[in-house]
Amino acid sequence: MNDAIGTAPAPVEARRGMGALALSLRGMRRDLRAADVRALFVALALAVAASTMIGFFLDRLERGLERQAGQMLGGDLVLEQARPFEDALRQTLREAGLILSEQVGMVSMASHEEAFQPASLKVIDENYPLYGEVHVDRGEGVERLARGPAPGEAWLAPRLAQLLDVELGDRVQVGQTHLVVTALVEREPDQSGGFANFNPRLMMHQADIEASGLVQPGSRIEFSLLAQGAPSAVDAVLPRLRELTADGVEVRDVRRDRPQLGNALSRAEQYLSLAGLAAVLLAGVAVAMATRRYVERHLDTAALLRCFGATQRQLTQLFALQLLWLALAASVVGALLGLVGQAGLLWLLTAFLPMELPPPGPLPLLLGVLTALAVLVGFAGPTLLRLKRVSALKVLRRELDPLPASAWLVVGVASLVFGGLLWLYSGDPQLAFGLLVGGLVMLVLLWGLGWLLLSLVLRLVARMPASGGGKRQALRLGARQLARRRSASLGQLLAFSVTFAAMAMIALVRGDLLSTWQDQLPEDTPNYFAINIQPGERDAFIDTLDDAVDERTTLYPMVRGRITAINDQVPREAVPADARGDGSLRRELNLTWRETLPVGNRLVAGQWFDRSPNLAEGRVPISIEDGLAERLGLGLGDAMTFTIGGEEIVGEITSLRDLDWDSFRPNFFVIFPPDVLEGFGHSYITAFHLDRERDDISRELVREFPGVSLLNVEAILGQVRELLTQVTRAVEFVLGFVLLAGISVLYAALTASRPTRAHESGLLRVFGAGDRLISRVQGAEFAILGFASGLMGALLAELAAAGIYLAWFDLAPRIHWGLWLTLPLGGALVIGLIGHTLSRSVRRQTPMESLGLLGEA
Amino acid sequence: MILHARGLGKQVTSGERPLTILSALDLEVFPGETLAILGASGAGKSTLLGLLAGLDQPTSGELTLFGESLASLDEDGRAGLRAGRVGFVFQNFQLLPTLTALENVLLPLELAPLSNSEQRGRDWLTRVGLGERLGHLPKQLSGGEQQRVALARAFVTEPQLVFADEPTGNLDHATGGRIIDLLFALNREAGTTLVLVTHDYVLARRCDRCLQLEEGRLTPLVLDEVGA
Repeated sequence: MNDAIGTAPAPVEARRGMGALALSLRGMRRDLRAADVRALFVALALAVAASTMIGFFLDRLERGLERQAGQMLGGDLVLEQARPFEDALRQTLREAGLILSEQVGMVSMASHEEAFQPASLKVIDENYPLYGEVHVDRGEGVERLARGPAPGEAWLAPRLAQLLDVELGDRVQVGQTHLVVTALVEREPDQSGGFANFNPRLMMHQADIEASGLVQPGSRIEFSLLAQGAPSAVDAVLPRLRELTADGVEVRDVRRDRPQLGNALSRAEQYLSLAGLAAVLLAGVAVAMATRRYVERHLDTAALLRCFGATQRQLTQLFALQLLWLALAASVVGALLGLVGQAGLLWLLTAFLPMELPPPGPLPLLLGVLTALAVLVGFAGPTLLRLKRVSALKVLRRELDPLPASAWLVVGVASLVFGGLLWLYSGDPQLAFGLLVGGLVMLVLLWGLGWLLLSLVLRLVARMPASGGGKRQALRLGARQLARRRSASLGQLLAFSVTFAAMAMIALVRGDLLSTWQDQLPEDTPNYFAINIQPGERDAFIDTLDDAVDERTTLYPMVRGRITAINDQVPREAVPADARGDGSLRRELNLTWRETLPVGNRLVAGQWFDRSPNLAEGRVPISIEDGLAERLGLGLGDAMTFTIGGEEIVGEITSLRDLDWDSFRPNFFVIFPPDVLEGFGHSYITAFHLDRERDDISRELVREFPGVSLLNVEAILGQVRELLTQVTRAVEFVLGFVLLAGISVLYAALTASRPTRAHESGLLRVFGAGDRLISRVQGAEFAILGFASGLMGALLAELAAAGIYLAWFDLAPRIHWGLWLTLPLGGALVIGLIGHTLSRSVRRQTPMESLGLLGEA
Repeated sequence: MILHARGLGKQVTSGERPLTILSALDLEVFPGETLAILGASGAGKSTLLGLLAGLDQPTSGELTLFGESLASLDEDGRAGLRAGRVGFVFQNFQLLPTLTALENVLLPLELAPLSNSEQRGRDWLTRVGLGERLGHLPKQLSGGEQQRVALARAFVTEPQLVFADEPTGNLDHATGGRIIDLLFALNREAGTTLVLVTHDYVLARRCDRCLQLEEGRLTPLVLDEVGA
């Protein structure tokens, strides 16, 4: 190389380096006339469009969902403790850029004339609510307000108004102050408080709290500090938050403590990024196929340039730069498409989406372009290197083509790059590695299977009688062409299989996810809780309820108790530092007793009461919810002391239970065996489903059992369902893009194989085949290819979906029989139709043109 | 001396036994001369041309091009030696189908830039009579026209040496004749050294010197003696 440059005049040498960029740019501009470059451009632009579109959408949806989750929690960050917060803390949070709102919660008596009723007080400030709106009725129907009651006002839950017999404009007494009822609260934006407090809501302003005289030393009050702000602002105060946790403050971060829908949401996100990856993989396959044709077409150019004195490095540089220009141009077009596409689709979706999505951020754009470049390097790189190896002698001896890049090298490099992308997107190197190795093993298996399939096709064709109608003849000829061109057909077979598998997998996972979600909240999910059922009215209540509803949960007895010691130590000192502020240590817990394990609970450690071991004198066996035990650092054999009505009971943990908190059933942290708690004052709780039109029953229940509180959780249920619906739409939307990417693969593959097919049909025509026969032969060939690809795609999809379920979604794998029918048949139909249509121009060519195509074009 | 081959040989392994295409071949080419290498089909003409131009490597012997021993250069070094100094005319034209006539002519200049590249390209196309067809793609040109584009491309870098491989092989007699007239005219004007490989005695006759390639060796040939 140095010798070569040494022989050239110096100014020329300088200009050579300078000219590389311009030369490659001119080359690419000229090259845009070629069909394969256009296919490559389309594939790359689609890769960028798909990844940025999904990226933009995911990013915005993610932030939107987070905002919605923040709305349910009340803020991005919620701090709770039993004493007022210090000014210094407020200052720290404000300085980090967070907007604050404070709440005080307590149970207090509300009265009106002769009626008294315990109410759950929510004392708010001017900044309430940080997220969402309150649905209230101020006498003119339900309206949405982005504020709470003003000083001097009280907003009541309709049930409280009913119990106190007040109407809008009446005054209620709270503590020592009187407030005017100005609205009935139909729905609060922040409803995540759980069911610990079953008293109906009374909302009032902070300014009235002092006059009420309710905040006294020793009163059981919960102070909350809610903060709204960017994740970076929340991150900035994390060290301070850790200290607070150790001091006994309960800290809830919207990113870690998503209320109610933790599982559904995280699965949806995993699904969306999985789908995004599938689209990228498909675009990669398309790029690989288009590149193959690009390289074949440029072998002559490379040889000629070599003849004119280009070095290997110059050739590599030239073609790499040419493709880089192409990638950049495709990135710009793709990113614009992605931006426009996501805007357009979101615009379509906003009709259904009540939540407002934040504007698109710059990160997905960057990630999209990066992904496109990675795809180009990974899926086109090894194939491109073939150009560098071309011999100058090829200009004299046409047959001297360099060997194609080894299929294993192409697959290997592509896998490495894709593995890197998997890592980038999933953030889990182990998972990325596992998927990659699994994928490669699958590919080897598929290759073998494909080889066998093609051999089988050839053998079947050989046995076919030579006579027979035109259709049979077409099938024979088509199958033979396919099987004879084994390596090219195998490449297409693998590409189509992966394409079908990716598309099918995304569809499968979608279906299973959705049905899991639907199972999670079926139609008859309880929407009413009945609490405070006294032992004396228990049987009568059951009778009345059973006459009216089909489904209800068991009646659980409920005793309120406080944890006062753990392993004979003060609870706060016995638990890990970050659990000192845990709500379970600050509030009374609802305890129950049961002879059998409740429905929906799963034993994860220890034995149920009927088989519990003998315990030390004075201890009773108890069963603890798994999550609580984990938070408090407790295990089997640990002792917990409960103070119930002034008496102490020591329980020893003999079993741990896993339960579904999203089930809308009564759930208990602690369950005692029978014959321990019966002596304490208790009431019963149950949950049931009541159709909207059977409102009369709830009125009847209230009338017959005035002491029983009925809690309508339809609103919360609705909120959860609404969110699931939105997520479902997002999932379906992303599925559409995966399909689009799949079509790009088909397009690229068919474009790439066009010259060969043109040559074959040209030859057939020379030998006397008619238009009809050629058309049928091509159709048959594509249909067989599609059928075989569908078969292999089904296998791949089943295996991959099973792996993903186990590794990622925590769902049990199952066989999808429908897939084995739809993929092969659908594949034959789709590939047959698209291939047949795309080959129409080939069939229109004269044999002269067709045969010439294999040369330079 | 512009090109000097000593004891040049090329063997390939075909099946199990080695096949000798060229053996112990000596050749000297001087600046400005025109040399024809004649041979029947399969005599190894293209192989020899490939070796002389440094497109391939001999299995024995030594070759010096522009005073530089090709044995001491790797493939890239040999390519660099050709850049801008060697022109080629091929039997099958070797024009790139997606490039216009002008772009095809400019291709070698992109590797060995000269001032006013584009103007030079236009001038050369005008000299071969295609000044009006600069923007045409190869498929829009006849065979003769395509070979004229190839001639312009061979001379555009003002090379010291032009190799021509059966330049009329794909053309009819009349067109071939016109192309040859043009080739020699351009060569004379530019004062280039021309090495022409052909099986056509009439064409070979127009060169200063003729050599016959037979059984892997070169022998001098006086065409008038064989009555061609």
